[in-house]
Amino acid sequence: MAGIGFELRKLLARNTLGGVLQAYAYAGMIGSGPWVLSIIGILLVGVLASGIVVPPSLVTQFQTTVTYLIAFSLILTGGLQLAFTRYVSDRLFEQRDELVLPNLHGVLGLTLAGAAALSTLALATLFEGVSFAYRVLVVMAFTELAGVWVLAVLLSGLKRYKAIVLLFAVAYSLVVGLAYALAPFGLEGLLAAFALGQLVLLGGMWWTVARAYPSPRSVSYHCLRRRTFYPSLLVTGTLYNLAVWADKFLFWAWPETSEPVIGPLRGSLIYDLPVFLAYLSIVPGMAVFLVRIETDFAEYYDKFFTAVREGASLEYIQDMRDEMVYAVRQGLGEIAKIQFIAVLATFVAGPSLLALLGISGLYLPLLQIQVVGASLQVMLLAILNVLFYLDRRRIVVALTAIFLLANTLFTVLTLKLGAPFYGYGFAIALLTTVALGLILLDRKLDRLEYETFMFQ
Amino acid sequence: MRADITLLLEGTYPFVSGGVSSWVHQIIRAFPEWRFHLVFLGSRREDYGPMRYELPSNVAGLETHYLFEPEAPPPLEVLEPSPQVMAEVEALHTSFLAGVPPAQAMARMASMYPTLLQGDHLTREHFLRSRAAWETICSRYKRFCTDPSFVDYFWTVRIMHAPLWKLAAIARNLPASRVYHTISTGYAGFLGALAKAHHRRPLILSEHGIYTKERKIDLLQAQWIKDNRNVFQRDPTEVSYYRSLWIRFFEWLGRACYEAAQPIIALYEANRQRQIQDGANPARTRLIPNGVNLARFAPLRAQRSTRVPPVLCLIGRVVPIKDVKTFIRAMRRVVNVLPEAEGWIAGPEDEDPGYAQECRNLVASLGLTEKVRFLGFQKVDELLPKIGLTVLSSISEALPLVILEGYAAGVPTLATDVGSCRQLVEGLTPEDRALGPSGAIVGIADPTALADAALALLTDEARWQAASRAAIARVETYYADQMMFDAYRKVYSEAMERG
Repeated sequence: MAGIGFELRKLLARNTLGGVLQAYAYAGMIGSGPWVLSIIGILLVGVLASGIVVPPSLVTQFQTTVTYLIAFSLILTGGLQLAFTRYVSDRLFEQRDELVLPNLHGVLGLTLAGAAALSTLALATLFEGVSFAYRVLVVMAFTELAGVWVLAVLLSGLKRYKAIVLLFAVAYSLVVGLAYALAPFGLEGLLAAFALGQLVLLGGMWWTVARAYPSPRSVSYHCLRRRTFYPSLLVTGTLYNLAVWADKFLFWAWPETSEPVIGPLRGSLIYDLPVFLAYLSIVPGMAVFLVRIETDFAEYYDKFFTAVREGASLEYIQDMRDEMVYAVRQGLGEIAKIQFIAVLATFVAGPSLLALLGISGLYLPLLQIQVVGASLQVMLLAILNVLFYLDRRRIVVALTAIFLLANTLFTVLTLKLGAPFYGYGFAIALLTTVALGLILLDRKLDRLEYETFMFQ
Repeated sequence: MRADITLLLEGTYPFVSGGVSSWVHQIIRAFPEWRFHLVFLGSRREDYGPMRYELPSNVAGLETHYLFEPEAPPPLEVLEPSPQVMAEVEALHTSFLAGVPPAQAMARMASMYPTLLQGDHLTREHFLRSRAAWETICSRYKRFCTDPSFVDYFWTVRIMHAPLWKLAAIARNLPASRVYHTISTGYAGFLGALAKAHHRRPLILSEHGIYTKERKIDLLQAQWIKDNRNVFQRDPTEVSYYRSLWIRFFEWLGRACYEAAQPIIALYEANRQRQIQDGANPARTRLIPNGVNLARFAPLRAQRSTRVPPVLCLIGRVVPIKDVKTFIRAMRRVVNVLPEAEGWIAGPEDEDPGYAQECRNLVASLGLTEKVRFLGFQKVDELLPKIGLTVLSSISEALPLVILEGYAAGVPTLATDVGSCRQLVEGLTPEDRALGPSGAIVGIADPTALADAALALLTDEARWQAASRAAIARVETYYADQMMFDAYRKVYSEAMERG
């Protein structure tokens, strides 16, 4: 999310309460906008279609299908997203803007072809007893989603945050509207609405890039060359997305917590809804994370390396290092504070919220622990982001691998321990990873000038 | 293979031609009974062309090392050096500070040699990567550096120390030799000190110029050394911190060599005094001037015409240190009085093409294109019979062979008062002085004096003949190569026996 700092700083520089509020609102919107919009969109489709689509289990089938599509498309493209964003920002730093579009086409072509081939293979072999239309629409939607992620992360790398949020808003409004219109066609109708919405999103994002970075060449695979491609980023992105979904997969696969929904897809009635809701609770945390890391931290990070390069005194270099450390500490502390409030709010307002939404109060304990887990996930994101800034790719790989391992291990453990422990696996896995991440980050920051100079 | 004498050569023989290299070649050929091993130290491989000399058959081996060639970086994480070693390093650096008696610093330095030579207690990896080295660099920067830029301090320290490990490795791996002989102080001289400490064989030092002084001049002019002080921080009388750091570094390298070497040989008295001033023990210093091959030059005397040719010849590279421009300006005045006079400049112009062009422009603007000729590189044997005077307008010289070669051929000289020139023209000892002047000495950058002195010699036949006779007598009495060889034979033999 580099580069957002400028706009945030402008808002903060007014030094008024309004300015601060605006900055956080803005950060919240661009930090969480896309997935908040997706979640709300999918929930709304369910609400709107519930009276029209018969039987109602078809709505569940739709929502489960979309959840799987999102999960697998994120895991498939997670690595490529990071590696490609790094490629693009390196080229932009070199002012070779004309390389952006042709390489996007190269990567996008590979992604779409790979996603289409994989999903076709899966739909052809694993999905017995579903309609042909369902298969075609799922392949379409999966392929589009894969492209959407690549483009979304590229656009945020290009600092076109507003465009992303706007396009997501348009696309999901379209999905909701079309779903309402196509609801009479049942599951296939809803899926068609989703697929069409994604197509618009994909097209809109591509157009935004193409207009901003015109290029005489149409396709290039320059980004996949060994010099410009970082395999560690590919590994990190894949591991992180696998880790985030590991507990969900386990809950879907565990017989006691899940039931079949469509084809081989299973859902977990007790787990999925709290998870969805919990992710909405991290909007303030994400906003704080963006504001803190992208303003203070990024500013002192720049000053630190400028001071190193341009011959400042050691005292000044160390001051900037201290300021950086302070900004990180401050940022993580504020995320912790604001998420603590979110957790408290869930504890206090949770029961009435669930009642308002017509959801059973039995979900409450799970919702509470999921909010804790999701909050810790924001902390982890912040830590990983700082480590990315410092280009400590090996540590990031290690942390995401530990996250995956811990989430798998602890979730299996809680599944064996029984219902009262559900959700703790995810939270404890994150707690472990965050604690380890803090220790490693602390060590890195402590050794920053030493490594910056002596590791040359 | 075992060698009798190992020569330590920094940036000269056999890859760079010039006075020092010819001298080395001369020495090796003078002692066919001894086997020589050559160690050439250069900056980077690409800075040198092919060999300029055919190695005599008694050269047993030649090894080349490039001190500033990039090396493979060590692994990022390394074992830390022991605290005792770091304490020694700290104590050594502290003893280099002003106010500590040099003898004490030298003792500390010598006590570090085994640590450095052993190659595992204090390695290049430790220096480049260890936390302890980092902390030492930081704390010394905070205590002593008066320049604000830490990154420049950091790299200055790194670049300064990096060759020391290469030198230690070279010293360790040198083939056994009865004597080590370095032709300068500096890195080669320090290598000599390390070689002596490791192999326990004597070290001889012959200095042609004064390395430390020349380095100082280079460093004071060097553009690459940064000075980051701003207008308010800068005191114009104070040399930039990094310059003075480099100067001190070479001063200490020089001291290390003087401390280890015996004898310490200078070409002429002024340089011997300079060595003493820079820390050499007077009792170990000696004078052995350069010598020329009389048998080669004496026959040239017969080739001369009876009349003195009104030709002034500057033999040397066309570079600023030779101050060719003063010679050209003097020629204007000479030609005004003596229209048939000519000025020749015999030497390569490729070292500083910009300066060479300026000299040509000056010739043109003084209207001397018919009178001053650029001959390029010439064989002295062919040149000397045709000229009336060798001229050296240099602003710095050591003991110029050109003067001695001219003497041997019967040509007097006209030189500036630099290096040993006055000694060569007027004589050093009373007996030497009794031979009479073999030319004339003028101040530097004084074209009028140069012209007047030239005219006085060229227009007064008797005076020129007296100078020519004095020149021949002087070179035959004091500067015959055979005398130099005898002196070195004695130096080598004594050192070999001393063991």
